[in-house]
Amino acid sequence: MELSQLVLDGLILAGDAAHVNDKGFSVLVTRAFDGLIDDRHKNLIAKDPSFRGEDQAVVKEVYAALVTLVAEAAKHDLDTSSISSLLEECKFNNERIETFNKIYTAKKQLVQILLSGVGTTPRHIVDVDWRLDYYIKNNHLEKVNEAVYLVSLKTEVSESPGLKEVQFSCTQEQLQDLVGKLKDACKCLEKISQS
Amino acid sequence: MEEVDNIILHSLRSIGCDIDEEVQSLKQFSTEVIVACTVKCLRTIVKDVDLPSSLPQGTAAKFRVGTALASNLQALGYRGDIGYQTFLYSSEVDIRKIFMFLVDKLPKETVETTEEVLGSSVLLQRNIASVLSRQLASLWVSPYIKNRGITMRGQPQTWQREGTCCMYHFHASHVIVPEGSTDLTKPTPKAIKVYHQSSLPFVTGQCLHHGDTAPSLMEANMANVTAQQEWEAEWNSAGLASRLSQQDYRSKKAQRIRKRITDQLRQDRQRSEASGETTNDLQQLLATIGGRGVGAAKTKGSRFTHTEKLLFAKDDEKALSEVQSQVPVGKTEEDIQKEREEELTKLKDELNSLTSNLEKLELEVRKFTAGSQQMEEEIANQTRANLEKEEGYKVKKRTLDLLPDAENNIAKLQAVVDSSAQRLLTLASQWEKHRAPLIDQYRSLKDTASRTESEAQRKLEEIKEFRKKLKQVQDEARGKEELSKQLRSEFERMTKEVNRSAYTKRIMEIVANIKKQKMEIDKVLIDTRTVQKEINQLSGKLDRQFTVTDELIFRDAKKDEAVKKAYRYLAALHENCELLIRTVEETGGIMREIRELEDQIMTEDGKKTLENLDKITADLQQMKGENEILLKKRKAKS
Repeated sequence: MELSQLVLDGLILAGDAAHVNDKGFSVLVTRAFDGLIDDRHKNLIAKDPSFRGEDQAVVKEVYAALVTLVAEAAKHDLDTSSISSLLEECKFNNERIETFNKIYTAKKQLVQILLSGVGTTPRHIVDVDWRLDYYIKNNHLEKVNEAVYLVSLKTEVSESPGLKEVQFSCTQEQLQDLVGKLKDACKCLEKISQS
Repeated sequence: MEEVDNIILHSLRSIGCDIDEEVQSLKQFSTEVIVACTVKCLRTIVKDVDLPSSLPQGTAAKFRVGTALASNLQALGYRGDIGYQTFLYSSEVDIRKIFMFLVDKLPKETVETTEEVLGSSVLLQRNIASVLSRQLASLWVSPYIKNRGITMRGQPQTWQREGTCCMYHFHASHVIVPEGSTDLTKPTPKAIKVYHQSSLPFVTGQCLHHGDTAPSLMEANMANVTAQQEWEAEWNSAGLASRLSQQDYRSKKAQRIRKRITDQLRQDRQRSEASGETTNDLQQLLATIGGRGVGAAKTKGSRFTHTEKLLFAKDDEKALSEVQSQVPVGKTEEDIQKEREEELTKLKDELNSLTSNLEKLELEVRKFTAGSQQMEEEIANQTRANLEKEEGYKVKKRTLDLLPDAENNIAKLQAVVDSSAQRLLTLASQWEKHRAPLIDQYRSLKDTASRTESEAQRKLEEIKEFRKKLKQVQDEARGKEELSKQLRSEFERMTKEVNRSAYTKRIMEIVANIKKQKMEIDKVLIDTRTVQKEINQLSGKLDRQFTVTDELIFRDAKKDEAVKKAYRYLAALHENCELLIRTVEETGGIMREIRELEDQIMTEDGKKTLENLDKITADLQQMKGENEILLKKRKAKS
């Protein structure tokens, strides 16, 4: 994981007891995690009374550095030992490292869930409805007697709520073909999961 | 032998055979234990083996189990003579061989599975495989129950993304972060400081869409990191070589880039002006946009020049103001077009006349400049000629004046010439005196300059090398840390094999023992050979002595009686000694035979043939009894 010099400077400021005291540090770290994860908490840091009297530019710089560190650490799935070594390089003392690690281990999954939501995917099938019709006759033929499947796949589209449907009809052979392809796909996945 | 037994017992115990704690060697194995252990081994080596775990009761069944075991072992590749008798009526040597073979086959299977390559791609594959298998094993859940597409499953709860309803694109927007707010060496302008302090929102509140915060921060970080790396690469290669400080190098680079931009813009502007189109371009452009395709090529050219002109604010303003003044109000488009064409033709004619005038004037100017140059040259020539003639005249005049008093004057002139020659010499010597130290100084200064130059060069190269080494060492350290992390995780995953150090120690001891024994054997061999050589020497000496004494005495024996007696005694002595030697040799041979027979007796004892014969006869009786019982049963049934 590489952090730019600006972020490292901000982290060094964060570890410096002259600029950020201990209580302020723990508040900053909690707010950094919350502000990143949750939409509703993103401006709580601005209203927090702990930093009224201090240089707001310093607070903003430290806050930005902490948020970047949280995002990058969760992105690289770092364990607490690597983070501890990084923070030691930024001259954090052990208590602050402990505080950070505690909150990190508690909230890491949430940050990773947030980061996993970034990206584009094609439509995602989540449910299927099907109906079997029996096609008796039409106006050209007296007897047709075939089975027709009506399948409706429910899909999720990114960035829009609700399920969109993909509907199609197929004969029995086509449906068997489709099921065969699905089984092949399953087998492929199982092979990968076992190797 | 005990070490082999210990190893065999240990491996048998490790695969799960039930062996008593007191059993220390293969001699104490009974038939049941042998059979149980063999079956266990076969089960470990070949996965499914259809054999009972213990020896059954009936003798016929026992024989069948024995033959099945023997056939399995031969299928595995055991080279030796085995049959049911090796298991039921066992001898220690055979059992040892069989167990060594089986134990040999055992551990290889377990060793092979733990040897794997520890690449990071392999680790990634394993990660992917484990996550996929976990996800494949989870059940389907209706999408309405999932919390924005995420389900938490398993102990401890881990998350799985199963729905895409709440995913969004990676969109990074620009975030502003105060830089160096406590750094007093880099002063920030007061306005920016005030902005940072009071108005700038915190970084999580800067993006319009909350989901853009993380991408924006990550992108900003990555951009800074790559900029840093590129600057370092450039500084290490070109910057150090130019030997300027960082500030100077950066300012020089900025100046260079700015100069290039201005040059390029100036060139384009000159090119566009040289094509002759003036402010009518804008009107023509508007006309073509309006749909009249008059003079397509011209308007195309003007569009190109027009777009370039838009880069210059002054031209822009001028054009705009002129267009604004010239746009006719209320006239139809065709009239405007005609007016424009007329104006265009008028202006073109004017332009043509002006350009032709200009060219004419230029030609004349050139001619005049050429003429004036020629004149100047002639003037210079003439003045030179003048000067020379004056010089010549002066010299001639003086000689004429001096002519009347010719001899005195010649002597005076001679003296003047001599004195001036002397003066020249003294001046030359003085000059030499001055010159030498100055030249030395000059040379020494040059040397120091070149030395400092080469030293600076050397130091630069050293710095470059140090940086390279630093990078290398950093990379190595990083690679080693990763490797150690991987190895540690591998080590924790692997089962602890306790035996390896014990095995290796024993193997080393055995090797040392064998070495010692070999040395002793060699010593004994050398001794034997020396003794043999001595024997040969002595017997040779003896023969020679005897023949010599024989001849000597025989010669005298014909004359003297006492010597004949002495000869007879000598012969008898020789025969008796020979007899003695022969008996000693025979004794030695007989001792060797005794030792060999003793060895044979011991091996025969180990085969336990008597016991086995007893057992066989007992089993035979038992089988006979069982056969009779079965026959009776059959007769009773039928």
